[in-house]
Amino acid sequence: MKTIIGFEIHEQINTPTKLFCDCPTTYREVEPNTNICEVCTGMPGSKPFPVNQYAIDAAIEIAMMLNCEIIKDPVYIQRKHYNYPDLPSGYQRTSLPIGKNGNLLGVGIWEVHLEEDPGKYDPVTGKVDYNRSGVPLVEIVTAPEIYSAKDGRNFMRELVKVLSYTGKVRTEGGTMRMDTNISLEGGRRVEIKNINSIRGAYKALNFEITRQKNLMKRGKSVKQETRAFLESQMITKAMRAKEEADDYRYIPDPDIPPLLVFDEKIESIRAIMQEAPHLKEERFAHDYGVKADDANILASELELANAFEKIAKEVDPKFAANWIRDELKRVLLYNKKTFKESGIRHKHIVGLLKMMQRGEITAKTGQKVIEIMGEKPGDPQKIVEELGMGKITKNDVLETAVDEAIKENKKAANEYLGGKGEALNFVVGAVMRKTKGRADPATILKMLKERLEK
Amino acid sequence: MPSAVENVSKYLERIEKDKTNSFIEINKDAIRDAKAVDKKPKKGKLAGLAIAIKSNINVRGLHATCASKTLESYVAGYDATVIERIKREDGVIIGMTNMDEFACGSSGETSAFGHTENPAAKGRIPGGSSSGSATSIAANLCDISLGSDTGGSIRNPASHCGVVGFKPTYGLVPRYGLIDLAMSLDQIGPFARDVKGAATMLEVISGFNVKEGTTLKANNGYAKNLNPDISGYKIGVVEEFERLTDHKITKEIDKSIKKLENKGAEIVEVSLPNLEAGLPTYYLTVFVEFFSATRKFDGRRYGKKIEDVCGREVLRRILLGKYISQKEFTGKYYKKALQFRSLIKAEVLEALKDVDVIAGPTVPKLPHKLGGEIKDPLVMYAYDVLTVPANLAGIPAGVIKAGEVEGVPVGLQIQGKPLGEQKILNVMQAFEGAAK
Repeated sequence: MKTIIGFEIHEQINTPTKLFCDCPTTYREVEPNTNICEVCTGMPGSKPFPVNQYAIDAAIEIAMMLNCEIIKDPVYIQRKHYNYPDLPSGYQRTSLPIGKNGNLLGVGIWEVHLEEDPGKYDPVTGKVDYNRSGVPLVEIVTAPEIYSAKDGRNFMRELVKVLSYTGKVRTEGGTMRMDTNISLEGGRRVEIKNINSIRGAYKALNFEITRQKNLMKRGKSVKQETRAFLESQMITKAMRAKEEADDYRYIPDPDIPPLLVFDEKIESIRAIMQEAPHLKEERFAHDYGVKADDANILASELELANAFEKIAKEVDPKFAANWIRDELKRVLLYNKKTFKESGIRHKHIVGLLKMMQRGEITAKTGQKVIEIMGEKPGDPQKIVEELGMGKITKNDVLETAVDEAIKENKKAANEYLGGKGEALNFVVGAVMRKTKGRADPATILKMLKERLEK
Repeated sequence: MPSAVENVSKYLERIEKDKTNSFIEINKDAIRDAKAVDKKPKKGKLAGLAIAIKSNINVRGLHATCASKTLESYVAGYDATVIERIKREDGVIIGMTNMDEFACGSSGETSAFGHTENPAAKGRIPGGSSSGSATSIAANLCDISLGSDTGGSIRNPASHCGVVGFKPTYGLVPRYGLIDLAMSLDQIGPFARDVKGAATMLEVISGFNVKEGTTLKANNGYAKNLNPDISGYKIGVVEEFERLTDHKITKEIDKSIKKLENKGAEIVEVSLPNLEAGLPTYYLTVFVEFFSATRKFDGRRYGKKIEDVCGREVLRRILLGKYISQKEFTGKYYKKALQFRSLIKAEVLEALKDVDVIAGPTVPKLPHKLGGEIKDPLVMYAYDVLTVPANLAGIPAGVIKAGEVEGVPVGLQIQGKPLGEQKILNVMQAFEGAAK
């Protein structure tokens, strides 16, 4: 059964001031109703300031990253009227499209526009906090060209990556909000609101697909309606029937002259704009010969991708890509940090990889060093020296360890001599443990063979 | 020169005895503010002058009621930009004036605080909506006042009360702090007893405001540059005005234009063929923008929901605005009004192209008698036919008393090009000299 999905995604732009006034956007860190003024609380007589230029530029850049054509005609800021306690003026200001007809992963991007966040209403206490009122949002509307929950999840992951590449949206969790439209062949379109994460979107879509399929199986029709996603229960619940859709009575806001985007602006943004992640992946695969999967991981974060390109100048790119994928990513995941947040520098990685290549430390030691760096970034050379983890080559320590290991693992040693070759690996492991991974496994194996076979 | 305290005290005493109902609220701190001005070694352009403010402009600590029950307990928490500028030049705010509710009206009768009397024509309406700002000048209750003009709300009462009123170019004076009627048309402007006073106030309040999207980067020394020598000025007269205007008013206006001609101006005939289309264009715009502007008066923050407590005219405009802004009428009313507005604007600018100013009447009829409220809105709206074009075109226009008809003042309206304030004021001052 064919499934058709479209998204509307809202992200907060990471500007220090609101869209139509100078109030700070740090609404979560402060007491309720402290980041407010007569503009963002809609006091009688107040007028919007000229539109926040950073927010306009951010929306243009995001639209360009999504391959949109930028609108050169006057872009009006509209008033969208509806009655809700969190809207101080009885309307929300929302721009007409700044960019149109883009695409990402083969999914059409219908439009990118700017709008203001409303305040926060608590239905339980009846109180409204206007700190959030007027925080700039960028809204991205996709074409209904996603055909499964899984594709939806992949699309959203890629979109989040693109947005983070721009560096223009808030990255702390919980600021993204999305609505999704979903319809199954033979059914009507259902809108799901109140989704706050990619995981939530995936769960909501799966729930909804199952719900709609079951309805159809039982011969019932799927109504056109708006449903809310309840994150706590991972289900969707009917909000209101779409038939009684609100009339927002849009008018261009007479207080705000339309925005005009000139070619110079577009060119100046293009000059500083990042390469889109999927293009970067293709280039990495082509230029450095890294595998597609590795390229995907390298491009998962802009700072990591940039670091990789610097590393690849000094270390074999394939070796570096492999190691970043297996080791660095493992450590970042374990510490729940992005590469940027980890504080690890590209030169540290270069240093570490070179020590491994020169045989100064073992791969095992390399793992330990990056684990330490993950918690406390620093020069790998120093870490190795301070902790005495330099590779043990032929010396008394290693020979003693080999002798002891043979003595303690007589059974395995005898099995080896009896023709069971793999038994020796067990003894190698024992030596590794004794030397805390500082000895090269190949050297150990060679020494063991010499010792046993003489 | 009397001190600020002497000046303000004089007016406070007069207001105490006043019977025109010009004020809704008196500034209890006016004397204190005047004392502060007197203490200053270096004083501003409005030093010690008593300034009355229309009740739709925010003055911190005073009520900006819009003469409506909706906002009867709303105390402004901030100063409008024009108020900041007046205070910076040491003007003393004396009080908040009466007006038509939410500036919806041109008679002064729709205030929730009672109608305003016309001191210049007993028993007649004072005009509106800036009724109290005009009458407070006519009754000598302040030096200068501020009103707002969306379709004639400064010029109409100035004409009916025989005082000087001025509506600036759209965007010349910041609207920040002015409670909206129709955002794309509203402008704040001064009333005064003479042209010099109006020019001085305009000089103080005009100019770019960084906190606003629609102000212009312009401000001349309007008072300083006043020059009554208008020889060589080309003054346009509009042929369509006559047909729409009471002939007794036309006669008075013609006499005034003759005086300007005697001052050396050249009279040129111009035409505004779509003049009457201004009314529907204007009102459709006002209804929709006013509907939008009043959504914040939902009863959650300012005590009362506007639809529950407002007067008939305010309710009519809200309901009409709500009706015609429906999605199904997209393109039929508001958009069409915006298109027509461009047409009228082009026509007005064309008429002004080869002249310096246009001179003519302000209101086509004499103010009606108090108590004889006009029930038919279309008849009532027709009073605005000569004033709305300036708002639709965004051009400046001033009014000065031309003379009297049956003992009732009628105003001469001088309209100019965008940012052509100075020439209008010059013509007005030339006329003022000729009238004396």
